Amino acid sequence: MDDFEKHIRENKALFDFHEADKSKIWKNIEARLDKPQPKPKVIRLINYPFLKVAAVFLIGLGLFFIANITTSNTEKSEVAQELIDIDMHYKGLLSYNVKLLNKNSSLTTEQKEEFLSFMDDLDVEYEALKKELLRGLDSEIVLEAIVANYKKRIELIENLLKQINSSEKNISNDKETYIL
Amino acid sequence: MDQNILNTHKELVEKCKLGDRIAQHKLYMLYIDAMYNVCKRIVKIDEDAEDIIQDCFIEAFGKLSSFRYESTFGSWLKKIVINKSINHLKKRKIQIVPLNNEIYHLKEETIENSPKMDIKKVSKGIELLPAGYQQIINLYLIEGYDHVEIGEVLGITASTSKSQYHRAKKKLIEIINRL
Repeated sequence: MDDFEKHIRENKALFDFHEADKSKIWKNIEARLDKPQPKPKVIRLINYPFLKVAAVFLIGLGLFFIANITTSNTEKSEVAQELIDIDMHYKGLLSYNVKLLNKNSSLTTEQKEEFLSFMDDLDVEYEALKKELLRGLDSEIVLEAIVANYKKRIELIENLLKQINSSEKNISNDKETYIL
Repeated sequence: MDQNILNTHKELVEKCKLGDRIAQHKLYMLYIDAMYNVCKRIVKIDEDAEDIIQDCFIEAFGKLSSFRYESTFGSWLKKIVINKSINHLKKRKIQIVPLNNEIYHLKEETIENSPKMDIKKVSKGIELLPAGYQQIINLYLIEGYDHVEIGEVLGITASTSKSQYHRAKKKLIEIINRL
């Protein structure tokens, strides 16, 4: 730094010869300090047309899912009620037929047990169908399969009982013939 | 820098941080003249300088919470003033650096030891300098900025600032000698 520079820096206060209008400037500053601070600028994204479309699409999608979940829940409760009704109806019929079979004296206990053992297989099938229902597969088809399962069990017992009855009749006819 | 110097007007600054209007006015009164002169030397026009100074104090009071006494309050405030003043010139497309700033600075120029001069003549000489030279002379000689700081403010390299300063000083001495 040479003498010229040193001289200026040492006397730099002498360059401050301008005088500010202090009260005028302060008045303006004070007025601005008193004003509430401007709120942070909010960018209204919704003003952009493509965002409007996107927003409508998202709202629509949301409503669809909500409706779907509600519908799905309603459907589930309907299916559960239907299964209860089916169980009540067919379990009653089935136990009635099993009782009839057990009462029948034409078959030995072993024969009865052997015949009813097919019920175990159908029970396994019934439990599997119930699981399918819980997994939310097409409930109508599964319920139809459950009904078919019950009907098959009842039909088999009924057929057996018919066959026993008809053979008993034949025997009695034979007996009558024989008597006659 | 000595912590006592850094803490100049600390009590007042702390009150200002809390929004104390009386403290804000006291701080304003302490610095207004110096800051107004800094601004006026750069922008020249009274009305522009007044508007810029208002903005500077509003900004300073607004972001005072970020002031951590890493420099003096005065130099912190002066930085705001200089930046705002230079930005004002940029907006008005007023020349802030010489046009040939990048072309002729490769060769270091020899500087003759300049004599002490009358400050009034120096001030007059600065006013007569080409616009591009004035800011570098003001920032280096009067505001005490180094060439790195000047480079940051004016958007030029430190070496460009240095070479342009030497050219500006040479020109200034020529002008003063003719006065």
